[in-house]
Amino acid sequence: MRITAFTQLILVLAVTAWVFLLPVPMVATILALELVLLLYIKHDRMTMAAIGALTVFTGMMIVLQLLFGSSLYVSLTGGLRMFVMTTAFLCLLAATKIQDIAQALVEKFHLPCEYAFMLTTALRFVPDFLTDSQTTLDAQSCRGYSNRGNVLKRLYSYLAVVKPLVMRAVAKSDTLALSMELKGFGANTYKNMAPQSLGLLDYVVLMLIVLMSCYPWWHKMF
Amino acid sequence: MIEAQAVNFAYRRGEPVIFDISCTIQDGEFVALLGHNGSGKTTLSRLFMALDHPRSGQVLVDGNDIAKLEPADLSVKVGYVFQNPDLQILEDTVFDEVAYGLKCKKMTEGIIKKQVADALTAMGLEDLVDAYPRALSFGQKRRLGVAAALALQPRTLILDEITNGQDEQEKEDMMAYLRKLNEEKKITIILITHDMNIARKFTKRVLVLNDGNLVFDGATHDLFDGKNNIEQWGLKQPVLSKLGAQLGLEALTPEEFCQKVELKAGDSK
Repeated sequence: MRITAFTQLILVLAVTAWVFLLPVPMVATILALELVLLLYIKHDRMTMAAIGALTVFTGMMIVLQLLFGSSLYVSLTGGLRMFVMTTAFLCLLAATKIQDIAQALVEKFHLPCEYAFMLTTALRFVPDFLTDSQTTLDAQSCRGYSNRGNVLKRLYSYLAVVKPLVMRAVAKSDTLALSMELKGFGANTYKNMAPQSLGLLDYVVLMLIVLMSCYPWWHKMF
Repeated sequence: MIEAQAVNFAYRRGEPVIFDISCTIQDGEFVALLGHNGSGKTTLSRLFMALDHPRSGQVLVDGNDIAKLEPADLSVKVGYVFQNPDLQILEDTVFDEVAYGLKCKKMTEGIIKKQVADALTAMGLEDLVDAYPRALSFGQKRRLGVAAALALQPRTLILDEITNGQDEQEKEDMMAYLRKLNEEKKITIILITHDMNIARKFTKRVLVLNDGNLVFDGATHDLFDGKNNIEQWGLKQPVLSKLGAQLGLEALTPEEFCQKVELKAGDSK
């Protein structure tokens, strides 16, 4: 029994709101639950790398906030909020097919299918882009490119990798646009896919979301 | 000279893909690296260029272990041309594109001009020196890739599927340029290919990989003489080889084959 993409999207949106509505200990608990869930859904190298990269990014954000004069508490809670929101999104991506997300966006949120397609395409291109960037890096290394020297030199020389990649991405998107046009994109929609109907578990989760979202009010009442 | 000594390799946290391969490629050889998809051809060639390093065993270039080297360090000894030329085109003119590696090596203006001119001439691109590289035909882009590697004057060229996506004439042109480099400049050529006809016609030696194992290392005509069951390694015997094996003839081109058939027919009369 699984919850549908629609409920998962609502849950992610709710988590995004909860990080601002709920007290810090509860947000930290949500983070712990998210991490357990994420590792339960997908326990592989990519997931670990994503968590690692996110930790580094959060650390950098906290340091930057401290450098610009925020207090330690504000910096830490800011970092925690960002971490929780991003991990929720990671859980969504790990648990759901991109096509299901797109279908839910079109069917339930009435997002124009062009925008839903844009989202799925962007996400689908990420692994391709990573592969291309590694190949370009290798190809340029074989011609003498080396990522040595000070930071400025390294940044400048990295243009040798970025430029072919951008040109390639533009060419790819051009080809994709053309092939989509040839297939009559726009005339068809996601309606040919089986509709996603909500089950009992979805309603239970949605109820819990409403309850949790009302926490600031019922906390005051009791 | 490139030497692999009992090389084993696995991608990070993956299954092993190269098993205990030992081979030596001498200076001036024209070698084909054959095998079905996923047999380990490209992986082995990446080890030759220090793009990856073996889990165990050694790769030696000119007698030196390359375990601690980066591809950029090796680029003056070994040139590597990737399959997709679009992923490496950087500059706005053919000249600058070929000069990129030399500029990375901080060569003087005079040397850059000379070596770029030599490389472009060697690959028949001297008339396109000011052309926009992305506007070239696919075959020309592939030759540009070879010229860019050649500008650094390496003694060995590793070419990954260099004839892919080209028409027959472009393939012939490319191979003619490579043969010339091999014969006149004594540059070692390692050709990774699926094209049995190209391998048969142009190379002298063949290394066949099957599921990460080196299963054949010998003369090209020995591989295609009909005595080896090369289908078991996912390869296909060229038609001319099949016919030759049936008739007991050896010929590189259809014309040569016809001549030999006529001669044989004449002898039998």
